[in-house]
Amino acid sequence: MRRLPRLALGLPAVLLLLVFLILPYAEMITMSFRASQPGTMHGAGFTADHYRNVMSGGLYLEALARSLLLALFITLACLVVSYPIAWHLSRASGRKALLLYACVASPLMIGVLIRNFGWMIIVNVDGPLNRVLLSLGLIDRPLRLLFTQGLVALALVHVFTPFMVLPINNALRNINPAVIEASRSLGASRFATFWKVILPLSFPGIQPGLILVFVLATAAYVTPALLGGQMVTMMPTLVVQTLVGTFDWPLGATLAVVMATAALIAVVVFSLATHRLMERVRA
Amino acid sequence: MSSLEISALCKRYGPAVALDGVSLTAGQGELVSLLGPSGCGKTTALRCIAGFIDPDDGDIRANGVSILATPSSKRDFGVVFQNYALFPHLNVAENVGYGLLFRKGSKAERERRVREVLEQVQLVGLEHRLPRELSGGQQQRVALARALVIQPRLLLLDEPLANLDARLRDDVRWLIRDVQQASRTTAFYVTHDQAEAMAISDKIAVMKNGKVAQFASPREIYQRPAERYVASFTGEANFLVAEVERALGNGLFRVRAGGATLDVRGAGPFAGSAVLLARPESLAIVSDGTGQLEGRVVKSVFLGAVQHCEVVLRDGASVRLGTPPDRPLPADGTVSIRLDVDRAWLMPDAVP
Repeated sequence: MRRLPRLALGLPAVLLLLVFLILPYAEMITMSFRASQPGTMHGAGFTADHYRNVMSGGLYLEALARSLLLALFITLACLVVSYPIAWHLSRASGRKALLLYACVASPLMIGVLIRNFGWMIIVNVDGPLNRVLLSLGLIDRPLRLLFTQGLVALALVHVFTPFMVLPINNALRNINPAVIEASRSLGASRFATFWKVILPLSFPGIQPGLILVFVLATAAYVTPALLGGQMVTMMPTLVVQTLVGTFDWPLGATLAVVMATAALIAVVVFSLATHRLMERVRA
Repeated sequence: MSSLEISALCKRYGPAVALDGVSLTAGQGELVSLLGPSGCGKTTALRCIAGFIDPDDGDIRANGVSILATPSSKRDFGVVFQNYALFPHLNVAENVGYGLLFRKGSKAERERRVREVLEQVQLVGLEHRLPRELSGGQQQRVALARALVIQPRLLLLDEPLANLDARLRDDVRWLIRDVQQASRTTAFYVTHDQAEAMAISDKIAVMKNGKVAQFASPREIYQRPAERYVASFTGEANFLVAEVERALGNGLFRVRAGGATLDVRGAGPFAGSAVLLARPESLAIVSDGTGQLEGRVVKSVFLGAVQHCEVVLRDGASVRLGTPPDRPLPADGTVSIRLDVDRAWLMPDAVP
C-alpha cells in the first residue's frame, strides 16, 4: 500500500477550517463592504461607509465598549471563582474526581434556553431566591434582579466556569508536588508558595482559560438578550437586531467584523503581554 | 547545625506499615544514611523529618526540642529531592536564592550569598539558565546549592544521585560530602545503594520493612552485621550454616561449618545453630592444601582484574570468592580454601 503523503493527514482539518471559518469570514467581510439597500439583502457596488459609520462613535462604539468591559469583568470573576474549584479538582482522584468533573461540567449539560428560564424563575420577584431571603429576614422587599447586568454577569460566570476550571485543573495537575514541598522547606509560607510557585506554574492553564472565557463572553447573545432586558444594548444584540430586525446585512456584517476584530486584538495583546511568562513556565 | 534524635517513629497508611518504631540519632555534623530497598520506609522517615508528613507516633527532636509541631517552613532544614524539584520557571540564581527571600538580609547580601554557594558547587556562569537548560548533574548541583544557601540546621537528601549516570554520580557524591563537611551540617541521606552509603556516611541505618535492622558505622555494618539481611544488603556475602560447639570467651566461638571446625568471632550468645558470614575477600584458594575448607570449583568467570569462582564445599554449601586472574585452577577443580577467621563473622540464624 502506498503511504499517504503527509499533507493528506492535514487535509480534513484544512477543509474544516476552510468551509466553516475562512469562507464564512470571507463572505462576512465582503458583505460588510457592500452597499445597503432596504428591501434586499444588499445593494450594488462596494463602500466603506458602514465602517465610517460604526467607527464614528456613538451608539455602536458604546455598545462595543460595554460588551468588552462586561466580558472582562466576567472573565476575571470566572478566574476568581474557578481557581479554588480547579485546585480541589486537581487534588481529587477516583470517584471523587469523577463526581467533581460532573459538577464542574453541569452548567454545560443544560440547554441555553432552559438554563436562562431557570434563572428567570429563581430570581423572579416571588421566586425561590427572594422567598428564602425574605423568610430569613435578610431583606424587607423582594430584590428586582431580573433584567439587570449583574444577573447577566452571574449567569455567564456560571456557564463559563468549566472553560476556566478545566485548563487550570490540567495545569495544576502538571505541577510536581515536590516543588511545593521544596518551597515550604525553604521557608515559604503557604501564601508565598502559592504566589511564587503555584500561581506562575498554573499560568499555562490560566492563559487559555482567560482567552476562552473572554471570547465567549464578548460574543454571548442569548443570556444578555433574555436576562439583560432592553435597557442596555450589547454588541451581539445589536448585530442580531441589525441582521434580523432591520434586515441590513452589510451593516450587521460590519458590526460583527468590528466585534470579532476587537476581541482578536484583545486576545493578541494579552498573549503578547504574557508571552515571556508563558515561555518560562511552559512544561 | 544541630543534632537530631528520632525515637520510636511510626507511620501507617491504612493496613500498610511504613515506619514501625524507627529510632535514630545524628550527632552534630554527622552524615547518617538510611539504606534499604524500595518500600523499606527510608523515604517516609526522611519526609517525616522534613515535615512533609506527620508520623502517627514517636518523636523527632532537634537539639533536644521536639519539632513535630513545627511546620516544614519553620524547621530550617534543607531538602534535596530525588528528581531535584527545581522551580522550573526560575533561573539558577533565582532557584538558589529562593530560600533567602524568606530570611533577613538585603538584596546585595542575598546576591553575595548565592554567588558564594554557586562557587561552592561549581556552577558560576550558569546563573541565568533555566533548569530545563541544564544537564542532570548541573540540576543536582543547583538543588544542592538551593538547600545549602539557607545554612540549614539539617540537610536532607533523598536519593540525590539516583538519576545521574555512573561517572557523574561519583563527582556529585564527593561534592556532597565535601560541602557537608565544610559547612559541618548534620545530614540524612536516603539511598538504596550500599556502596554510596559506605563511601559517604558516618553512620548507616539499614532499614527493613519499616524497622531499623542495624544502626552503626559503615565498618561495623559491613564487618559485623547484626543479621543476614544486613550482611547481604551491604555487599557480596557467603553464608555457611554453622553449628556452635561452645563459646571460647572474648567473643570467640568454636563452630562447625563447611565441613571444618573454626574459631570465629560473633556477637553471641548463640544456641545451637548460627550463620557464619564469610565475605568473598575473606576466602582465598591456597595451592599448598593448608586451607581449612575443601571444595570443588563449579564455575569461574574472568572479569579482568579478578576471577570469580563458585565453589561447592564438602558439606554441599556453595561460596563465591575471587582469585587472582592468572592463577590456573586445578584440572579436577578440587581446591583448598583458607578462611581468614578474623574477617568471618558469626550471626544468629533468625532474628526475632
